Amino acid sequence: MAATPHTVDELTQSAPRARWFATIVNFIRQRPLGAIGATIILVMIAAAITAGFIAPYDPLATDYGAMIAAPSRAHWLGTDAFGRDVLSRILYGSRTALEVGFGAAILGATFGSLIGVGSAYFAGRIDLIVQRVMDVFFAFPVIILALTVVAVLGTGAGNVILAIATPMVPRCARVVRSSALSVREMPYVDAARACGFGHSRIILRHMLPNVMAPILIMATAFLGEAILLEASLSFIGLGVQEPTAAWGLMLRGAAVEFAETAPWMAIFPGLAISLAVFGFNLFGDSLRDALDPRLRTQ
Amino acid sequence: MGIYILKRLAAMVPTLLGVAVLIFVLLRVIPGDVVEARYLTQGSQFQSQELMDQERHKLGLDQSLWKQFTTWMAGLARLDFGLSMWTGSPITEEIKLRFALSLQLAVMASLLAQVLAIPLGILAAVKQDSWIDYAVRVFSIAGLATPSFWLGILMILTMLIVFHWVPPMVFTPFWVNPWENLAQLIWPALAVGYRYSAVGTRMMRSAMLEVLREDYIRTARAKGLWLKLILTRHALKNAVLPVLTVMSLEFAFLLGGLVVTEQVFNLNGLGMLFVEAISHRDYTLTQALVMLVATFFLFVNFFVDIAYAWIDPRIRYR
Repeated sequence: MAATPHTVDELTQSAPRARWFATIVNFIRQRPLGAIGATIILVMIAAAITAGFIAPYDPLATDYGAMIAAPSRAHWLGTDAFGRDVLSRILYGSRTALEVGFGAAILGATFGSLIGVGSAYFAGRIDLIVQRVMDVFFAFPVIILALTVVAVLGTGAGNVILAIATPMVPRCARVVRSSALSVREMPYVDAARACGFGHSRIILRHMLPNVMAPILIMATAFLGEAILLEASLSFIGLGVQEPTAAWGLMLRGAAVEFAETAPWMAIFPGLAISLAVFGFNLFGDSLRDALDPRLRTQ
Repeated sequence: MGIYILKRLAAMVPTLLGVAVLIFVLLRVIPGDVVEARYLTQGSQFQSQELMDQERHKLGLDQSLWKQFTTWMAGLARLDFGLSMWTGSPITEEIKLRFALSLQLAVMASLLAQVLAIPLGILAAVKQDSWIDYAVRVFSIAGLATPSFWLGILMILTMLIVFHWVPPMVFTPFWVNPWENLAQLIWPALAVGYRYSAVGTRMMRSAMLEVLREDYIRTARAKGLWLKLILTRHALKNAVLPVLTVMSLEFAFLLGGLVVTEQVFNLNGLGMLFVEAISHRDYTLTQALVMLVATFFLFVNFFVDIAYAWIDPRIRYR
């Protein structure tokens, strides 16, 4: 009696698990670079989640007895000018990086794709006006636009997310619009309109799912860029503020001043930034190859 | 073609007007103004409401927003940027040397990037899926991932530790002392150029791969044409267009977008000037900088489109 449900249970569970496993193995075999990227991202996410357990020190705890200490057994990656442990700050810094990265990418991609699809759907004068407004935003270099938004809103993680998302909106909107233009001509959109569905239903339920591939590609590209931009803003003191652990912030001030005698302060946080963005870029490239057959050669 | 050029030039006007309105409004939304910023740095003993009102009146900040905007626009139409609210000197003077520096850096970085990107991209495409291809791709993805400012710090650090030498930190214009000038600017140009070349390399590789699959390349190969000749005469000419677009757009952004790298190398370029101007709430200078950078961007875009028609005879404009 007990044996039959057990085997049935096992059968229903093992089938999807095996398929998942096969998909993962396939992905690793076909796109080794993408798999490396995914591994880096997973390690980073794991570090962010478990930072509280694995970090050897409190990232904010100052130790004036061990200022600018070289890497040793007590402090694997050394300490900074306030005696704070560099390794712990890098581990906690991954939280800031992921928070800002995902926040800005999701925000930018969401608004960008809604504007892009809406613009393509309504066409005519609305499309024209939206495109002209986007042109205006395009004429600003990314960092100048982000800096202006920071000046308006103030510094801090939440505002930095908004500042980084702002220049991403028009770029996402332009790419999504061009895909949405062809979706708009599909018979199912006509059919939906013939059924008397509202604009928002057609946009959200019929068009948006069909332009998901470019949106996902843009969003993963934004992730890496957002992490870089956050580091840049924090580095010039207009991003995340002390004493929060953030990679860009760790490169600021003393890290440059004492670079000659204490290079660990300047080297390790920068490595963390590069590695994280490298991982997201590798993964994003593979994702684009997988999702967009037209671009497969890239 | 003539009509097309005129049309394109005319289309810039509403975009620039939009940029002007946007930056004008954004600046007024930022809390505080130049008078407050100045008294804050000079200490509170100067702070009296009367003095501040007097100062605001002198700068025209007590006028209505509409009046301020039209005055600014009227000045712009005569190519008169006005005076900096912070220093009081003409904005043209403030910007001149910094513009020269930023432009030279942008040109050097983009030359370096192209020298690196085009051959690497071609090599990776020709040797697709070999270890060379993988190495080039990893090199270029790493370029996109490395923050230029950190690369700059590492460069200075390496030179300091290995050669006990630091590049000069005071800007010398090229026409004063070319050697000194290059010794300073080559490093930031390299730091920025690496990232910039990565964008180009990836584009070059994918465009080249696409072109190499075309029939006319197979024909050229079948008739026994030299590979080098096929690549340079047949393939490169057709593949270089998208690379040109991507690299020009990047170039346009380099002019005002090097805020952070400039800080590392202690360069007083337009990016640093922008950060200073906005922290001083220097409305006139910030506005002028944004308009300059936006106009530059639009013109680069415009020249790219014209160059398309010139390089590719299949493109005709109405």
